[in-house]
Amino acid sequence: MADTMTAWEDLVSTALVGTDRRPLPAGPGDPAAELLERAAVQTVRARAGQRLRAGRPLDVAPPEEQPALPRAAGDRLARILGGERPRLLAEWLQTAAGRGYRLSPHLLPELLDHAARDRSIRPHLGVLAGRRGRWLAGLNPTWSFLSQEATAAGPRPEVWELGTSGDRRAHLAALRAADPAAARELLATTWEKESPEDRAAFLELFAEGLSLDDEPFLEAALDDRRREVRHEAADLLTRLPDSRLGRRMAERVADRFTVLGGKILVNPPSACDAAMERDGVRAKPPQGTGEKSWWLQQIVARTPLGVWSELLGRPPRELVRMKITDWGREVLAGWVRAAVLQGDPEWARELFASDPLADLLAVLPRDEQESAAAAFVRGHALDGQLIMVLGGAAAPWGPELARAVLQRILDFSRTQPWNIGELGKLAGERVDPALYGLAERFSLEPPIQEVAALLRFRDDMLKELQ
Amino acid sequence: MIERWNRDQVLALAPDASSQKAAQGVSSPGKWSNAGVAAEAVWGECKGSGSKPYRACVDLSEPAYRCSCPSRKFPCKHALGLLLLWSADGVPGADEPADWVAEWLDQRRARAAKPAAAPRTAEPGAAPDPRRAEQREQRVAAGLAELERWLADQMRQGIAGSRRHDHWDGLVKRLVDAQAPGVAGTVSRLGAVLSDDDWPARLLSEYSLLHLLLTAHRREALTPTVRGRVGFPVTKEEVLSGETVRDVWDVLGRRDEEQDRLISRRVWLRGRATGRAALVLSFAPTGQALDASLVTGTALDAELAFYPGTAPLRALVATRHAAAPAAPPPGSPPEAVLEEVAAALAGDPWTDSWPVVLDAVTPMRNGSWLLGGPSGGLPLHPSAGTPWRLVAASGGHPLTVAAEWTPWGLRPLSTWDEEGRVVVL
Repeated sequence: MADTMTAWEDLVSTALVGTDRRPLPAGPGDPAAELLERAAVQTVRARAGQRLRAGRPLDVAPPEEQPALPRAAGDRLARILGGERPRLLAEWLQTAAGRGYRLSPHLLPELLDHAARDRSIRPHLGVLAGRRGRWLAGLNPTWSFLSQEATAAGPRPEVWELGTSGDRRAHLAALRAADPAAARELLATTWEKESPEDRAAFLELFAEGLSLDDEPFLEAALDDRRREVRHEAADLLTRLPDSRLGRRMAERVADRFTVLGGKILVNPPSACDAAMERDGVRAKPPQGTGEKSWWLQQIVARTPLGVWSELLGRPPRELVRMKITDWGREVLAGWVRAAVLQGDPEWARELFASDPLADLLAVLPRDEQESAAAAFVRGHALDGQLIMVLGGAAAPWGPELARAVLQRILDFSRTQPWNIGELGKLAGERVDPALYGLAERFSLEPPIQEVAALLRFRDDMLKELQ
Repeated sequence: MIERWNRDQVLALAPDASSQKAAQGVSSPGKWSNAGVAAEAVWGECKGSGSKPYRACVDLSEPAYRCSCPSRKFPCKHALGLLLLWSADGVPGADEPADWVAEWLDQRRARAAKPAAAPRTAEPGAAPDPRRAEQREQRVAAGLAELERWLADQMRQGIAGSRRHDHWDGLVKRLVDAQAPGVAGTVSRLGAVLSDDDWPARLLSEYSLLHLLLTAHRREALTPTVRGRVGFPVTKEEVLSGETVRDVWDVLGRRDEEQDRLISRRVWLRGRATGRAALVLSFAPTGQALDASLVTGTALDAELAFYPGTAPLRALVATRHAAAPAAPPPGSPPEAVLEEVAAALAGDPWTDSWPVVLDAVTPMRNGSWLLGGPSGGLPLHPSAGTPWRLVAASGGHPLTVAAEWTPWGLRPLSTWDEEGRVVVL
């Protein structure tokens, strides 16, 4: 073997410089023809005499525990990945993951590549990848993110010590829902050892079951080394009016706001001290915003909303409509932020009436969300705001909102048909897919039938995943 | 009833990427009415821009397509969209094809029966003109003699200076003029080796094999193979009038390649009983329809007529009898695959592509990727990169894998999952 290799290398060297300059070792006849003939022998010999090569086999992937995806569902996923209604990928993944399925192995590389680019689908993939997916991701550094995601494995006590970040997050979330105090105590046992990213992510889960019992823990977290953790703690404390932070905020606004002659007068803070910063107020304003304006907005946003009625002696309904001297924009922005942050439906309702924002809509109870969105749609022109506000109405939309939106699509299809694409897609993606019949019968106009087709696609999709 | 094809199999029939996309746009149930599938046909009416819907139907046994739309793409997006809908189980079964479908199927059957009833007789004037044939022999001989001298010159002067893509242009033109298109094609593809780090060795190999071909032609050795590779034409009629091999042929995979605005499609088959390998080659100018009648992962009971040669591979489908149930094809261990390739090379030393089916192999690594078992493996072609789909499908467990053997490694074509469904690689 070594000899033939040398012989071949020799032939190549000779061919490179030519037989005129580097004659072949003695052979009969024309040296050029001789070179070609010897090369032909070597070439065919190497091809025909190929031997098997040693290689390291891959470790065997562990057996799967989750049910395999139904065939029709896998085919539909391939259609979505292939470019048919690509915007439905997230919904497909979320639904399939919710049912605990695992993907067909050959679809894994493509989805892992998707998730490498799109963080938002990673949690779903954590479940859908199954054990084969984790095994596969272990072979490719580009897919290493998967090891951080929660698996389909049910809650197990050892998860908190041994699980992936995702598993631990899932475990803590489940525990928090069942027994908030136990979740807090569990987190406290390992708090000091957690990475900053995990501390912030775990704290976020405290929104569920939040109570004054959490206050000492959260108050301590205001002194955390990591800004994200401090802010998360401050956001949560804002939602507890009786927290020390809530009281400090109430004190901060107390002598800055007065009502005089039916107007609200404001005296914005002139400095941002260390105590304010500790309570989550950022000192440095973004480009283009004045310092006072920035601080004012933030202290309003972080003041428990219940404070205002007491302080100014009016209900929210009146407060949001009052004239505010000089600082109206800042105060309203602060209230909007507070309503969203503190999830206060009463304030959200009043603020939405004058400033329809998707975030405010999302704070309202479901039924109300739907009728508020429907009322808004009926009276609003086709513009970016319409799409944005509708985006705040949680899916699936029921018949009332569905009808309102379909009617608008129909109206706009007569006046500005080139502009209805996005609204149609949003309707197709958010309306309860079981209502496809309603859409089919609503009108035979193509834009409505498009929505109906999308709903039907989703309806089939969800049924396949049952 | 024919087993439903999967989505990959359907999309593989599309003439190009834009057709694939267009087909997906018309594959939703809402677009179709009066659709049905019965026996070996699927049909439906697709709403188009006009008032009358387009009527599309597919004879699944061939497959053959028909649509009333004016598209020049073939198969058109409606036929493909209909197949996609069918593959997603979106077409209801029917007892009988619709009337217009039955009519078309009857016409097709009548047409298929015709040539058999009236075998083509040699038309007057079609017989080869001995004088022109003689002239061609001389031209080819002169062209090849020039090539032989040119190769010898290269060897004398050295190939160090040949790393230029236009190095062979003049030579190719002269070989085309000399009516030796096979050799001209081989020479025109030499530029591809220049991208290889080891291009001097690759180029020497290619030159030496050309030299071998010229010598064989001069000495009249391995005649049909050599004449075929030189580029003497063999007509379809000649091939079809030769012996045929009947078997259940598994469609292993295909590869399209574009050169000079011409797409060549290679479809590889293997006979289940005979174990014979076959290649069905078709050509079309870029953007035009390619032969889409052989679907990867399906099987057909058919007679194949092979082009003459000492290790015959290229074939035509002479007669299709029926579709056969799809199943993973029988494979061989890697050692046996190497023996088979060696046998092919013994018959035709210029063989550089051979379809193989490996049984119970797993992806392995030794710096690059291999496919094999405990006794060792065959390297994958560098163009395969990391074969993630294959690795995922395997999970370290042995699989049946169909691949194209080339001197530079295997190109994976397809494999089969636990349920025996084909996975196109």
